[in-house]
Amino acid sequence: MKDLKHLIFFENLLQDAQNELVTQAVNDGKIALGYNCYYIPEVLLNLPGCFSTRLRAPRCESTDVATYYMTSRTCPYVRSILERAIEGGYNYLGALFGAENCAAMERMEEHFFLLNPVKNDHFFVTQIDPPMKGDKTNLEYYEGQLKLKVVDQLAKRYGIDVSDAAMREAIDKFNELCDVITEIGNFRKLPNPPITGYEFHVIQLVSEVCPHELILPYLKETLAEIKKRKPEPEFPFRARVVVAGSEIDDPEFTKLLETCGAMVVADRYCFGSFPSRERIEIQDGETAFDAICRHYLHWNQCARFMDGMKIDQRHDEVKRLVDEFHADGVVYENMKFCEFWSYEKVLASHILTEEMGVPCCTIEKEYALGSIGQLRTRFQAFVESLEIKKINS
Amino acid sequence: MNMKLAAKVLAKVGVIGFVGFAATFTIYFFNLENKLIYYVVRPLLNKHYDSQVRDKRIV
Amino acid sequence: MNCPVTKFIDSKMQKFDPIWRAENGLGGQRSRYYDKTGVAKYREWRGVHDTLVDYGAWLKNLSAMVKMVASAPIPCLKGFWEYRWMGSYLGTFMFIDRLFEGYRGLELKIAHMHMYAIVQSLTKRIAYILSHDRRLGASEEKSSKLVPIDEVLPELFMTGFPDLYPVPLQTLPEFIICDIDQHIEPYYIDVAESFGLPADVCSRCAAETGVALDDAFPIVGKAVVTTNMPCNASEATSMFQRRRIGLPDYQATLAMIHNEPAALPFSRKVMEETIAFIEEHYDTKFNWKTFFKGAKRMNEQNQIELEKWDYFKTPYSPLVGIAETLYKLYEWQSVNGADPYYNKVDRKVIKIMRKAYKDKYEPFGGKTRHRAFLWGPSAVYYTDFPTWTQNCWGINIVLNMDSTMGHNMVNTEDPDIAMDDLTRLTEKACMRHMAVGGWDNVNSVWEWATNFNCDMVLMNDNIACKGMLGVHAMMEEQARDLGFHFIFIEHDLEDSRTVSRQDMRNCINQYMSVVLNEKPLDPTIVEFDDSAAY
Repeated sequence: MKDLKHLIFFENLLQDAQNELVTQAVNDGKIALGYNCYYIPEVLLNLPGCFSTRLRAPRCESTDVATYYMTSRTCPYVRSILERAIEGGYNYLGALFGAENCAAMERMEEHFFLLNPVKNDHFFVTQIDPPMKGDKTNLEYYEGQLKLKVVDQLAKRYGIDVSDAAMREAIDKFNELCDVITEIGNFRKLPNPPITGYEFHVIQLVSEVCPHELILPYLKETLAEIKKRKPEPEFPFRARVVVAGSEIDDPEFTKLLETCGAMVVADRYCFGSFPSRERIEIQDGETAFDAICRHYLHWNQCARFMDGMKIDQRHDEVKRLVDEFHADGVVYENMKFCEFWSYEKVLASHILTEEMGVPCCTIEKEYALGSIGQLRTRFQAFVESLEIKKINS
Repeated sequence: MNMKLAAKVLAKVGVIGFVGFAATFTIYFFNLENKLIYYVVRPLLNKHYDSQVRDKRIV
Repeated sequence: MNCPVTKFIDSKMQKFDPIWRAENGLGGQRSRYYDKTGVAKYREWRGVHDTLVDYGAWLKNLSAMVKMVASAPIPCLKGFWEYRWMGSYLGTFMFIDRLFEGYRGLELKIAHMHMYAIVQSLTKRIAYILSHDRRLGASEEKSSKLVPIDEVLPELFMTGFPDLYPVPLQTLPEFIICDIDQHIEPYYIDVAESFGLPADVCSRCAAETGVALDDAFPIVGKAVVTTNMPCNASEATSMFQRRRIGLPDYQATLAMIHNEPAALPFSRKVMEETIAFIEEHYDTKFNWKTFFKGAKRMNEQNQIELEKWDYFKTPYSPLVGIAETLYKLYEWQSVNGADPYYNKVDRKVIKIMRKAYKDKYEPFGGKTRHRAFLWGPSAVYYTDFPTWTQNCWGINIVLNMDSTMGHNMVNTEDPDIAMDDLTRLTEKACMRHMAVGGWDNVNSVWEWATNFNCDMVLMNDNIACKGMLGVHAMMEEQARDLGFHFIFIEHDLEDSRTVSRQDMRNCINQYMSVVLNEKPLDPTIVEFDDSAAY
């Protein structure tokens, strides 16, 4: 396939947390609001006057200082973020909105106010207590937490307009972005898609880390380009897989999988598009804020949810992606030391394989893509097993 | 007569009590019950547990 | 003791007294043991009076166990046959012996009062659960009055259901037994790992998962209550348990950041829903009258506890170390106002403590060199750690963080206020109130240590506890700034293969010898191999 016009530009945007679009927005007077987790609704951080940027630590090669603070036995993602913060990589941030969603993440965010690594006088950190069930009681608590620790803080500290009208406008703009990404992503359903999993991963990531207003024109142009793009004469991969699991913000991971012969047709992991690029619909009688909270609690697929409804939803959602995107199997991944996904991948791979008839491969990975050799071997073996299964059937 | 009987009963209770005390105190002091458990009972039980066929699975 | 007979006996028997031997350079505690095993050749001679106290306590504990088997002989035998974890309860006597090594006088007396309270309660509970276990042949109807609830959810609210019997589900196969036998949970951990669970998750939760996968939970009740307490891995393991148990379940997910005002209304709602769930599934009604009775007992326990704390702050408390922390853990987490026997024990103990304070009684013959606040979970118990720190280095564990669980009073007249109070109490459960919910909860350890006049903080460093690992350096820096002797004790909670008991002891040994340049009280227990001990 012909190279995408903006792919190299997008790849470059992913080389630094403070990329050129982030810098441009900050120079324009916009407030950069960092977050780590889907529990913090991206749309709320895109109210007029501010923009969201999901924190990554690209090209992080050493986490020595963060390891001193958090030991080598905690999640490498959170240590990389802390390291980057201590290095001064997030000095552009106006605030960090955190959550006690997992212990390691929570502790890392605490260091943002214990060590004050972000050199910005107005910088502050809040942490919500995110719900663990999808019922009404938990929805109300979620709303209360987001109001107290996100919405009210934005209004109080930065004078951001948090009115219903402002939120509706933010939702409209957010939906526009989601529509573009979803349309691009849907090409992956085709038998011979005009986009690779790697390319989509890059596109999805830039949409999360860059100011929406500035990245959207490029995304629209890319969508138009893909619509006309000619795919390879034949589907160039040996299998199609859904990747599900914890944090993956390095497109090289997807590239690795694809070089082993498996196209990533759907991305159900933290930083992926499932969930994150679903439209927010405001129902009759709802405020915009209500709709945002309901939407995010409904779509959240985090492995920390404990109730049967949400647990089943997690597995059904992966099965739905397998069916809709015509995948041959699922790669369940967990970041090393991620307790939630360590458990979930054991259970989910069992359910998917034994109860839903979907072949699974489970792997554990570091944040910085090391030990490629081992992963490659696992992926190659999995692709081979999928091929054999196809031949046998 | 009654006094004699009472004395006999008391003596018997005393002897039984003393023998009981001596026996249990010996077990206690020389840690005999733990030795029995550690060297005999638990190894036998563990053998049994190791030979169990358990329904190990994710349900 | 001025009696010439006891003096004579003591003089003849003192060669069996490890403290006398250590003082006279003739050995010490470890000289009594067969190498590696933890099996003593003979029990400790503690002087005539204290040996008889210990012997009497041994007889009482033995009788409790006999009563357990006599009350349900067939279920107990079946239980021993069916469940691997049941076999480990045979290690109880050895467990008690090593917990109270070196104890004399009032500290020994109180320690045994506390231990008997636990033994009599636990043996009754085991017999009751086994005789209602459907796996062992109990009928559906018979077991239908039992309510399996997560071990970390305090049971006070269950006193409002006098016709139901709460079963802290993981307590028998995991929570208690891991303290008695260090070799039992590795079996269940291996089962969990054989299904692909990584070895770096918390071993407590891995063990619980293993019990579920091994199908080794008793089968009781009609519906189960799980909880998000205390932390991530325990939340995750409940996924496996709920599927294996296969009963309708309710997840009592109380607020994690539980110290903020916004948390209370939410957690209260969760408590109300928990109660409603039980009402619905067990076709019964919450009884405020019986709940208030339970709350009164709980309040009395907490009032006495607060008075105990005043004595802990002085050098004259005969309630120390493991006798304090293990009892408090069981009383608070597993009894939680449900058993009046504990109130009786508390009343007796506080009387002894008042008198000891008046008499300026110093425990351990005044050999304490350091007063330490302990931040430690299970690994404290199977290693008899507080006992060892005192016997070896003279470090008296004044209080453990587990003992500072919810101690607010619960209103006993107004259901509305009582529900708020119950929620506050429940939120501050074991391993939770000082570990999760934000930095302030962890950082409060220094305040606790200061208030209890401690010069030392011992922090059990669970190598798989992500929450506490995340504040590692901050804790060290705080200790340095505040001038505490601070020791991290590495351990892998319930997996003693990863970090052995000796490795844990070495953390203290190194600090005491290298940093403080102190000499041990008993050189035989500085370094020894007890890897094959229960």
